[in-house]
Amino acid sequence: MSRPGFVLEVDERTPALLMHQGEGFRLEKLPMGSRVIYPPESLPGLRDVDEEIRKALAAPVGRPPLSELLYAGMRLTIVFDDLSLPLPQMQTPDIRQRVIEHVLEAAAAKGVDDVELIAGNALHRRMTPAELKRTVGDRVYRSFFPHHLKNHDAEDKENLKEIGHTRHGEVVEINRRAAESDLIVYVNITLTPMSGGPKSVSVGLASYRSLKHHHNVQTLRNSKSFNDPPNSAMHHSYNRMAALLAENVNVFQIETTVNNDMFPKQMDFLNKREWEWNLKDQAAFLAVRRANELVPPAKRRQIWHRTAAPYGITGVNAGAPEDVHPITLKNVLRQQLTEVNGPSDIGIWGLPYICPYNVNSIMNPILVMSLSLGYLFNMYQNQPIVRPGGVAIFYHPVPNEFHSVHHPSYIDFFEEVLAETTDPVAIETKFEEQFATDPWYIHLYRNSYAYHGVHPLYMWYWGAHALEHLGDVIFVGGDRKTTERMGFRSASTLQDALEMARERVGSSPTITYQHTPPIAMADVR
Amino acid sequence: MGTIDQAEGQEQDGHLLLTGATGFLGQATLERILASHPRLRVTLLVRGRTGTTAQERVDRLLRQPVFSRWRERVGAEVAAAEVAARVRVLDADLGNRDLTLPDDLTALVHGASTVSFDPPVDEAFRTNVQGVRDLYEAVLRSGGNPHVVHVSTAYVNGVHHGPVPEMSLRHDVDWQSELAAAEAARAFSEADSRRPATLRGLFDEAKKVHGKSGPRSTAVAAEARRQEWVEKQLVEHGRLRAKVAGWHDVYTFTKALGERVAETLLTGRRPLTVVRPAIVESALRHPYPGWIQGFKMAEPLILAYGRGQLTEFPGRPDGILDVIPVDMVVSAVLAAALRPPEPEKPHYLHVSSGDRNPLTFREMYEQLHRFFTDNPMTDGGYGHVTPPTWEFPGATRADRLLRTGEKILDLAQDALLRGPHSERTRRWQDDLTRTREDTDALRRLSDLYGDYVQNEAVYRTDKLLALHHSLTGDEAATGGFDPADIDWGHYLREVHFPAVTGSRRGPDKRRSRSRGPKEVNPTGDNRTVAIFDLEGTIVSSNLIETYLMAKLNELPRGEWAGEMADLLRRMPRYLSAERHDRGEFIRTFMRRWEGFAEADLRKIVADKVGDALLRRAHPQAIRRIRQHRKAGHRTVLITGTLDMLVEPIAPLFDETVTCRLHVRDGICTGFLDRPPLVGEARAAWLVQYAEAAQLDLASSYAYGDSYSDRPLLEAVGNPVAVNPDTRLYRHATRKRWAVADWTAHTMSAVDSMVETVW
Repeated sequence: MSRPGFVLEVDERTPALLMHQGEGFRLEKLPMGSRVIYPPESLPGLRDVDEEIRKALAAPVGRPPLSELLYAGMRLTIVFDDLSLPLPQMQTPDIRQRVIEHVLEAAAAKGVDDVELIAGNALHRRMTPAELKRTVGDRVYRSFFPHHLKNHDAEDKENLKEIGHTRHGEVVEINRRAAESDLIVYVNITLTPMSGGPKSVSVGLASYRSLKHHHNVQTLRNSKSFNDPPNSAMHHSYNRMAALLAENVNVFQIETTVNNDMFPKQMDFLNKREWEWNLKDQAAFLAVRRANELVPPAKRRQIWHRTAAPYGITGVNAGAPEDVHPITLKNVLRQQLTEVNGPSDIGIWGLPYICPYNVNSIMNPILVMSLSLGYLFNMYQNQPIVRPGGVAIFYHPVPNEFHSVHHPSYIDFFEEVLAETTDPVAIETKFEEQFATDPWYIHLYRNSYAYHGVHPLYMWYWGAHALEHLGDVIFVGGDRKTTERMGFRSASTLQDALEMARERVGSSPTITYQHTPPIAMADVR
Repeated sequence: MGTIDQAEGQEQDGHLLLTGATGFLGQATLERILASHPRLRVTLLVRGRTGTTAQERVDRLLRQPVFSRWRERVGAEVAAAEVAARVRVLDADLGNRDLTLPDDLTALVHGASTVSFDPPVDEAFRTNVQGVRDLYEAVLRSGGNPHVVHVSTAYVNGVHHGPVPEMSLRHDVDWQSELAAAEAARAFSEADSRRPATLRGLFDEAKKVHGKSGPRSTAVAAEARRQEWVEKQLVEHGRLRAKVAGWHDVYTFTKALGERVAETLLTGRRPLTVVRPAIVESALRHPYPGWIQGFKMAEPLILAYGRGQLTEFPGRPDGILDVIPVDMVVSAVLAAALRPPEPEKPHYLHVSSGDRNPLTFREMYEQLHRFFTDNPMTDGGYGHVTPPTWEFPGATRADRLLRTGEKILDLAQDALLRGPHSERTRRWQDDLTRTREDTDALRRLSDLYGDYVQNEAVYRTDKLLALHHSLTGDEAATGGFDPADIDWGHYLREVHFPAVTGSRRGPDKRRSRSRGPKEVNPTGDNRTVAIFDLEGTIVSSNLIETYLMAKLNELPRGEWAGEMADLLRRMPRYLSAERHDRGEFIRTFMRRWEGFAEADLRKIVADKVGDALLRRAHPQAIRRIRQHRKAGHRTVLITGTLDMLVEPIAPLFDETVTCRLHVRDGICTGFLDRPPLVGEARAAWLVQYAEAAQLDLASSYAYGDSYSDRPLLEAVGNPVAVNPDTRLYRHATRKRWAVADWTAHTMSAVDSMVETVW
C-alpha cells in the first residue's frame, strides 16, 4: 500500500530538498517553518495491463463492448494523444501502442478494412516518423505509415469539417476523416486532471477557428484552476463542445492513467523522499549530478529527452467520454492530490527540463513561462498555494535558447511582441490574428515540424491567471535579460529571491514548496 | 613717417580687392572691412564652382558665423544695405591670363593659397606661383596703382636656425623654370604610370584584393590605383623638390617662389607689402573670442591629445610653436594695406609670436594637460579619456616607436585577412582598425609637424611692432597686434581649446564601429527590392554540408567512410578554387552530383534535407525577409545552391535565382545548366532586373556575407553585411555599411547533421 501525500514542515532535522532546475537539479535548504507538499507515494501499477485492456474493451461504461461497435465496411478512425503526453516519455511499449494493437485486433476480427490512425496534435508540431513509430509500435507503424497513419493538419481546410455551434456560439470544427467516421476510438493518457475526457476530440482534432473559443485570456483567467474541471471556464467550453460532438459523432474513449514512477531505477532517488535516501541514493545523486554537469549542453539535453519513464499503469477505462472520464480523474487525483491548509505568501517550484511542447526539443523562455505560471501554478484545487498578491519563486536558468525548426514563431514572439508588451490582453488584441494567419508560419506548421504560429501566444495565455494573481515572479538562477524581457525578475540564490520577495510580502513570509518531482496537486483548503 | 600720413589720406574712400575671401583669413578680413572700415569698398575675387556661381558662394559666405556679431550690432537691414553698397563680386579664376581688374583699386590683399601642405606639385605651383603671376600681371595691365599686400607665411624662410629678419628671401631658385617643370610633371607621371611594369604591379595588387569579386571590379580597382599612384608621384615630386631646394615642403617652397614672383613683377612699379603670418589660429578678441573656421594647423594636435591618441610628441620641449590669433593677422594686414611703401622698396612683415612672446611645446603641453584634465573628452560611453603624459623622448625615438607600431599592425592585418573568420576575428578587426586609426593619426601629425616642430628659427617682428605703434583711432581700438599682449594660459585654455573642442561634431571618440541594419520601412511604391545571398547570410550551411547531408542519406552506412575520405582528399582542390574564384569552386564541386537520379534527390530533400536547411537558417534573417515582405518590398534570393535545395524557404521570396544541374535521362551529369551567378554577375543581374521591373535600387536592400558579394552590396542604397568575413567586415566598417550578426538560435552543423541523417 502506498503512503498518502502529506505536507512537511521544515525543521532543523530536515535535509536539503531536491529541486528541478532545468536540465539539472539541486539540493536546497529551505527556511525553517516552510511547508513542502509531497504527493502520495507512487501507486502500484497494474500487474497484467493487456488483461486490463481486454476487460475495459469488453465491459466499457456507457457504451456497448467495442466488438459490438465494429462491423465490416465501416469507417474506423483511431485517434491517439500526441507527443505532449506523458512527460517524460514512457518506456516502450507505450501504453498507446498496447491499446491500439488490441483495438486493431478487434477490428480485424470483425473484418474492418477502412482504418486510419491520426495523432491528435491540434496546433502542436507534427510528430516525426520516428516519434510516430515509437508511440504506436513497429508493427502498427509498418502497416499504416504513411498513408493511414498521419498527423492531424489543422490548416488543411479541405480536410476539416464544421460540426456546428454550441449554445454559446462556439464553432466546433474537427478533422474531416474523424468526423465522417462511423466510430472514433480515442486512445488517451491522462497525466494531469486537465487532459482527457471532453478535451480529447474537441481539442486534439480541432482547428484554430474552434480552439480560439477556449484558448483565450478571458477563459484562462476564469479557470481556477484549469486542473480542476468543475471550476475551469476552459473545461466548461470543452464540455459544451463535447456535448455537440456527442450528437454528431460516435466516440469510444479509452483512457489510461500512470503512476508517479517518472525516472528509471538508476535515478530512483528522484522518486524518493530526501530523508529516506540510503547510501546508494546519495551516491547516485552525486554521480548523476556530476555527470550531468560534465556533459556538453546539447548532449545533456539529448540524454534527458531519451530518458524514458518506467511508469506503472494505474487504470485502463473505456466507454463514453463523459462516463469514463470521472473514473479516470479519480485515478489521477489518487496519485497526485495532497491536502494543504491555506495558501502562503510565497510559493516555490523547481522547473524540470521538460514540458508538453519541448519533447525532443529546447525549453525556450516562453515555454518556461507556460510551464511555471501555467502548468505548475495551476496544480491546485480550491485556491492557489500562494495568496493573492503573493510571490512565486521558480528555479530555472531561463536561457535565451530556441529551436529554430520547432518554434520559429516563438522566436519572433519573444523578439517582437514581448519587446512591446507582456500584457496578455494587449497581446491577444494586437497580435493573435497576425500570428495565427501568417502564411509562413502555416507553411512551416504544415510542411516542416513547427508549432503553429499562434502557439506561443497560447503559451502566454496559460499564465494569464497567475499573472493576475501574483504580486511578483522571481527566477532563481534565471538569465537576467531573458526574464526581464518577460516582465519577471531573476535572483542568483534563494536567499536573494526571498529578500526580493520581502518587498511585497513583508519580513516574515510563509513559504510553500510544491515538490517536484514527482507531480503533486495541492488541494488548498 | 611718411607712410602714416599717406595712411590717413587713404582712409577716405578706398577700393580694396580681396582674394581668398572664402578662406579662414579671408573671411576675417572681409568681416573687419565691413565692421571697422565703413568707407572702404571691397571687390571679392571668387571663383564659381560647378553648380554654384561666385555670387552664390559669396551670399553663402555672408551667412557664416564670422559676420553674426556685426549683423547683430548693426541690424540685418543695415548689414544687407552695407553689403549691397560696398561689396562687389568678380567671378574669375586665378591662373587665368585674361583676368581684368577694376582700374580704381587702392589696395589688393592677395590671401588665396592652397589649403594643403603636401598637394601634388602641379597644383601647388598653379595656385601659389602661376596664380600670383597671373594676378599681378592683371594688376599691371589694369592701369590702377593699388598697394599690393601679398599674404605669405613665416615658414617661407625655409630650413633656418636662429633669428630671421623681416626682409626679402635669399635664394637663387629660378621660379620660371621651376614653374615650367611643375607644369610638365603630370604628363611625365601619367606616362610613367602606363609603363607595363608599373601597370602589372598595380593590377596584381588589385587582383589580390578584388579577384574574388570578378574581373570588372579588379579593373576598376586597378585603374583607381593607377590614378592614386600618379597623385602620389606628384606629391612625392613636390616634397622632394622642395627639400632639395631647401624648404620643408612644397607649400612653403611655392609660397617662397610666389614672393619672388611678386617682387619680380611689382618692384619699382607698384607698392608691395609681404605679410608673413606664422600658424594662424582662433581669434583672441575679434569678431569674438574663439572664432575659428574649419580645421587649422594645430587642431588635429589638440584633438588627438584630448582623445588620448597622442601619447608622445616628436618635438623638443623647448621648441617653439609659433601661433598667432587670426584677428592680429587681420589687423596687421589691413594696417599695412593702408600704408603703402615706396614702389622701389617692398615692405616685409612677420606676424608671429615667437620673437616677443614665445610659446614652447612644454608650455603648450602643460596647457593641454590642464585643459583636458579639467574638461576631459568623453570616451563613447566609457567615461572619460585620461590626458596622456608626455616625456618628450626626442624625434628619432618617437619616430622609431611609431614605425615599429605600423609594421606590427601591417603584419596583424595581413594575418587576420588570411585566417578564417568568426565573431572573434571581427572583434579583433575592430580593435585593429581602432589602433590603426590612432597610429595613422599619429603618423599624419608626425609628418605634418615633423619639420615645424623641429624648426628653430625665430621670426623677428621689429617692423610689425613699429606698425603696431603707429596705429591710431579706430585701428587701435581693435587691440592691434603686439604678440606680447597674448597671455598664453588665457588664450589657450579659455579661448582656443574650447573653440576647437566645441566646434567638433559627433562623439568625442568613436567606439562602436559597426551599426546594425536600420528598421525596414514600407516604401509604398512597390519599387524597392531586398536581395539576399543564401549561404552564410540566411543559412549557416554551405554547398559541401548540404551535399554531404543528401549524399549520406542516400548511401548505406558502410559506404560513409569512403565518401568522407574522397571528399577530404579533394578538399585542397576545392579550397584553392574557392580562394581563386567562387564560380570556379561551384563548378568544380557540382561535379560530385554526377550520377545522382534527379527524382531521388528531390525525395531526399523533401523528406530530410529540407528541414536541415531550416535548422541551419538564421531566424533573424528569416524575420528580416518577412519584414521586407510586410513592408511591400519585393524579395529576391540569389545563390549558387541548387534550385531544389532552397525549396523549403522559397515561399519567402518573389524570385529565386539558383543553380540548376544539367539532367540527362533523369540522371545528373555533374554540369550546370547555366553559369553560376557570383560576384559581379550578381550585381549585373540585379541592375538588369531592376531596370526591367522599374525598381529603385537607391531605396533597395542587399544582404551578403562574403567579400565576393561586395559588387551586389554596392549596387543598392542600403547594403547590409551579414556575419561578414574579415575582408567584407573591414570594407563595411570603412564605408559605414550596416553590419548584422544573425547567428542566434541557429543549430550547429554537427547537431543538424545528427538530427538529419541518423
